[in-house]
Amino acid sequence: MDWRQLWEICSAPDNVPIVGLIPLLAFYIYLAWKQAHANDQLIAQLEADPAMAKTHHRKTWPFKPGWQKEVHVWPFLLRIEFLAAIIITIILMVWSITLNAPLEEPANPNLTMNPAKAPWYFLGLQEMLVYFDPWIAGVVMPTMIIVGLMVIPYIDTNPLGSGYYTWKQRKFSIGTFLFGFIVLWVAMIIIGTFIRGPGWQWFWPGQTWDHNRLIYEVNRDLPDIFGITSNIAKAIFGALVVGGYYVLGGFLVYSLFRRYMGKDFKRMSLLQFSMTQFLLLTMVALPLKMGLRLLWHIKYVWITPWFNV
Amino acid sequence: MPEQPNPEQDPITSKSYAAYYLIATVILMATLFWALWDEAWGQRPWKAFQEHWKDRYGAFLNTARSKSATSEKDVEQNPDYAALKQAYEKTYRDSKTQAEEARKAVDEVSARLLAVQSVFTDRRAYVNALSYEIETSTSASSKASKQKELAEYKSKVATVEFPDGSKKKYTFQQLEETYNEIRDERTRKSLELGDVLKPVTAARAKMDEYISDHMVDLTPQQIDGLKKKTADWDPKIVQINVAEANIVDRCESCHLNAREPLKITAAAMTQKGGKKPDEYADAFVSHPEPELLGIHDPDKFGCSPCHQGNGRATTSMEKAHGNYEHWLWPLFPKENAEAGCQNCHSADMVLASGDVQWHTINDGKDLFRQRGCMGCHRYEGYDKEPEDLNSIGQQIKQIETQKKNNGKQTAYLMKEADAAQSNEEANRLNGQAVDLRVANSKLDGRLQQLDYQSHSLMQDQKKVGPNLKDVRLKLNKNWIPVWLKKPSDFRPTTKMPNFRLTDHQIQAISAYIWQSGFTDAIPQHKPGNAAHGKELFETRGCLACHSIGEGDQMQGGAFAANLTRVGEKANYDYLVRWIHNARERTRPYCPYEKKDIGPEDYAKKGLPYQFDLDHSQCPNDGHELQVQNMTVMPSLRLAPEDAEDIATYLMTQKKREPSSYADASFMDDPALKAEGKKWVRHFGCSGCHEIAGMEDEGRIGTELTYEGSKPIERLDFALFTEIAQRGGKDAEPIKDQDDLARLPDGPATAPWYNQKGFFEHKLAEPNIYDQGKIKGELEASRMPNLHLTREQVLDLTTFLMGSAETSLPASYQYKPGDARHDIQEGWWIVKKYNCMGCHQFIPGQRTILMGLQQYQDIQEQLPPKLLTEGARVDPEWLRKFLSNPALSTTDTNRNGVRPYLKVRMPTFSFSDNELRKLVRFFQALSQQPLPYIPEQAPALTARETDMARSLFSSSAAPCLKCHATGDPAHDKIATAPNFLLAKERLKPDWVERWITDPQAVSPGTSMPSGLFKQQNNQWVFAGPTPPSFQGYEGDHRKLLTDYIFQLTAEEQRRVASSMPHAKAAVQPKSNRTQAAAGSRTKAASGGSR
Repeated sequence: MDWRQLWEICSAPDNVPIVGLIPLLAFYIYLAWKQAHANDQLIAQLEADPAMAKTHHRKTWPFKPGWQKEVHVWPFLLRIEFLAAIIITIILMVWSITLNAPLEEPANPNLTMNPAKAPWYFLGLQEMLVYFDPWIAGVVMPTMIIVGLMVIPYIDTNPLGSGYYTWKQRKFSIGTFLFGFIVLWVAMIIIGTFIRGPGWQWFWPGQTWDHNRLIYEVNRDLPDIFGITSNIAKAIFGALVVGGYYVLGGFLVYSLFRRYMGKDFKRMSLLQFSMTQFLLLTMVALPLKMGLRLLWHIKYVWITPWFNV
Repeated sequence: MPEQPNPEQDPITSKSYAAYYLIATVILMATLFWALWDEAWGQRPWKAFQEHWKDRYGAFLNTARSKSATSEKDVEQNPDYAALKQAYEKTYRDSKTQAEEARKAVDEVSARLLAVQSVFTDRRAYVNALSYEIETSTSASSKASKQKELAEYKSKVATVEFPDGSKKKYTFQQLEETYNEIRDERTRKSLELGDVLKPVTAARAKMDEYISDHMVDLTPQQIDGLKKKTADWDPKIVQINVAEANIVDRCESCHLNAREPLKITAAAMTQKGGKKPDEYADAFVSHPEPELLGIHDPDKFGCSPCHQGNGRATTSMEKAHGNYEHWLWPLFPKENAEAGCQNCHSADMVLASGDVQWHTINDGKDLFRQRGCMGCHRYEGYDKEPEDLNSIGQQIKQIETQKKNNGKQTAYLMKEADAAQSNEEANRLNGQAVDLRVANSKLDGRLQQLDYQSHSLMQDQKKVGPNLKDVRLKLNKNWIPVWLKKPSDFRPTTKMPNFRLTDHQIQAISAYIWQSGFTDAIPQHKPGNAAHGKELFETRGCLACHSIGEGDQMQGGAFAANLTRVGEKANYDYLVRWIHNARERTRPYCPYEKKDIGPEDYAKKGLPYQFDLDHSQCPNDGHELQVQNMTVMPSLRLAPEDAEDIATYLMTQKKREPSSYADASFMDDPALKAEGKKWVRHFGCSGCHEIAGMEDEGRIGTELTYEGSKPIERLDFALFTEIAQRGGKDAEPIKDQDDLARLPDGPATAPWYNQKGFFEHKLAEPNIYDQGKIKGELEASRMPNLHLTREQVLDLTTFLMGSAETSLPASYQYKPGDARHDIQEGWWIVKKYNCMGCHQFIPGQRTILMGLQQYQDIQEQLPPKLLTEGARVDPEWLRKFLSNPALSTTDTNRNGVRPYLKVRMPTFSFSDNELRKLVRFFQALSQQPLPYIPEQAPALTARETDMARSLFSSSAAPCLKCHATGDPAHDKIATAPNFLLAKERLKPDWVERWITDPQAVSPGTSMPSGLFKQQNNQWVFAGPTPPSFQGYEGDHRKLLTDYIFQLTAEEQRRVASSMPHAKAAVQPKSNRTQAAAGSRTKAASGGSR
């Protein structure tokens, strides 16, 4: 276990936000989960007792006599926000005193750094480049992420769970979000920071980042495994596999939706559902592709002269 | 929530945040103060340095002040000073009343001027402002109205109140006139005061000058100035900004004493009671080499161009010194500080300021050359003859093509002219044809020059190692594999490095070398007299380059091979030829045909088989041949018998019998030859040796011109990257004790992941970065172990660290266009032939011969010092002498100038190029202009000749007693050159200086000093002057010099025969010793140089 290497990675000014990100993320998920759990219990309580549901409640407590029905923003909200502002100010000041900007030597086009890493917030995108063509990882996927986020209000037909933490009422939305954010975004940033060393090779935490390390790794394309050699056949095969994924996946999503989210499904138009289904399958395709690459060294599934997937 | 009790009070409105706010605010305030502190001090550590500096330097100056005051008092004790003081006091008293009056007058006028000035400047300001408005107003009407206003203002009167109470009214114009009048008056009065005080100030200045002249250190007044500066110091960043070179150096913000005029050590700057100098004390030392700072004014050069580091950084020591990951030019460590010289002085071979030589970098440069590093590694400026030859060859080709084209064009033009329509047209075309023909003739001249150049370059081209084509003629066959195994086992100081060859490689290489060697017969010699050979070896100067004896017994220079075991390896007949003339080649080599030319080639053309510098054309194609061995070993012009004697002596130098070497008949196996060629090529043997079939091999190593600025990532630390970065107890990868001992700082414990660490480890154990790696025979590092010493590794590391691409503008490179360039070029040659082994060039420089035991008692037998050679000799004569030091074509077994010296000035057979450079070098070194125009010596009258002769032969200074006369009997005991050479050889000015004070020109000479004394601005003979000098007004020194320059052989003979003891003087040994020991009486017959 090379503790020094680990410390070097963790203490680099560039990586400090990511080191901070891990506990903070855990803490906030825990907090949200706690709130959601309390709310879900309250919802169950209120559903069981319609009389009680008619009275007001504050936080997760039913009203007591003497409690105000409404509270003003000032001071009751702002005093908390202001406190938060002070604490943030302290953190920023201490940070700026103790950690300097991670400046390096003047850029030398003849000598690029190794590993050359994107700023921490782009490390997820950079990691995607390992698995997809630059055009797909750098243009298509980010566009789909943005479009997908924009489209959420239009495909979300669930009227519940707005303005409070809940799990039971929005299992699908929250689950998808956690999957997309934690697994696809944060995890890839963490991989990019802690795992990817010189030569963009995979180093487990605690392994020394040896610049001279050599590993044997041959990536193949899926058609090669099946012994397909002609370019046209490769393109057709790939299209079939990808198309098959979307068709079969579509059926799976359809049946799961009908079964577990019948109410929501009924509220959805065809366009809304197919959109949801497409985005969901595309999102799931990313870790699937990562798995293919990391576990079975499969580089591309669908090879065409114009793009590779 | 059911589990939680439902609070009675509203949880939102009832909760108090006071405690949170209190804590958050306290922390916020603390952070705020932290930020302020960080801004003021944390990020500005130099402030602390400056505070400490004020204390410590102030205290230091106080001590220095009292010391200085004491020594000033000592100086004041001097009667000279007292006289000056009295003179001062007298003038002071004399002018006192007058001065007071004058001063009063000045004061009075000044007061009046002040009164007018205050009113005048105020009104003038208003006038100027109004004028500006008039100038810039756009409409004519406003201009007119403002002009009117101005006129009115100017005519208004203002009241001036004078110091004596009187008041006067002036208009603006009057005011201006009055002001100017009074001002002129004050200038006048001030000048008057100055005149009155002049003698006083002059006397005072004389006193001060006397003190500062007679005090070693600063005067108390100067120290007071420094004290005031220190006490008044406000914390600030001290910055040198040189815009043209983009230098911004703030080093002096902490290194405050760097340029102080005192010598300040870390010990002196240590806090009172402090045991060891702390970081502050270390920072406050003065620059250890103030003289260097004098040459390289920091205001123009800054600090970082020499020392590196981050001159702009002020936030921490690491940052400022550039000792962090991302600064590419970290501060050179103290021991490698001279690396900085290389930045600008890469064209210099020898760096010296005044009489201080910079040994680390000089030795580094020298080692790079002498150890043959340049055989494998290209380095700009080193071993450039082959490259120059190449480029000249290309130029010749180009010009030849051009000539051919011109010829064609000429023919074409003439034809056109014949067919031209008009006369004018024909004339024009013919004219063009003539021009082209002229151009061709010019090109012919150019070609001839290029041919001369290549002739010279061919001659200048040298190899570090011997010519291996001669291996069969030269060596004990069975010795070769033993040598290749590990050369330093046979000869610990050899230049031949250890290539870590396997036994198989050794066999193959020796087989190739052996089988590719010449098989010509060389003349046989009979054995000589070893005892005589030993004497010659020890006295002829062989030891200036060669050494003999091992370990503590070793004597002589390290420039050439140690000859202790030469008898085991050498072939006697070859050795005789080598000693007689090492440049003599077995067969000439034609670079054009790429083959060694033999007698058969000459025979084909019906030419005699003769090749030397005058017969250097290839019989086959007329191209320039290599007719000499490419060695720097000169010819000592020995008689053939002497060469035999020396060779016989050297053949006795052995530890075991040559016949005891194991049989190596495998070297004749033709199968091994082909493989051997592969290995010879692989290991780049031809970088240092001439090897048949490998004359045009390139260098196998990486170019090192800019190695020092190679990014650290490009230096392959291989498996030691991590430990080099981290340091610690396992940081040292070298395990071999011998190699470990080569590291300048010993085994590494600190991180060594930098250029210095890489170079040091590589030089200490060249294959260190192969350690632990699995590599094939052909992949393994080829760099051989040069078995360097610790100092040599330091020198070479320093040299390499300095070999960096510089960001400084070209004007900072030391590439002078004047005579200094001649000095630069000359040093390359001086070092190439090891001239410094015998001669002293720089005051304080020790030659190898000086260090030899045998010369301790007979210093006058040492070769002459060349400290002022350029001022001494006529450059044309020097050129002749250098090309033929015997100064004779027939009688060559002697020294031309100093036949009495046993040590021999050898014939180096310098090329014309090198002769030219050397002559220019000596002239430039003594600041002599070129070309030299000799002074016409005035003809002496008969009387003057008589007088001069009487001086020349006077018993107080019998010149011919020591100086050679050409009479063999006398020359045997003579210890100084013949006067007859003077006319052609010497410069009269120098001779005058020489006979006045030889000790100042060449310390240690036995030429007597004090022959002349100064009298009434004339130099007169110090001994009893002959009666004929009665009434002679001229300069005796000049007279004697003129006489010497007009001396004829006949006259000299006459004088010599009239001097009875000149011939008879046989020097007793004790007398000689005395002379050398320093009792240089006029009678002592020591040698002169």
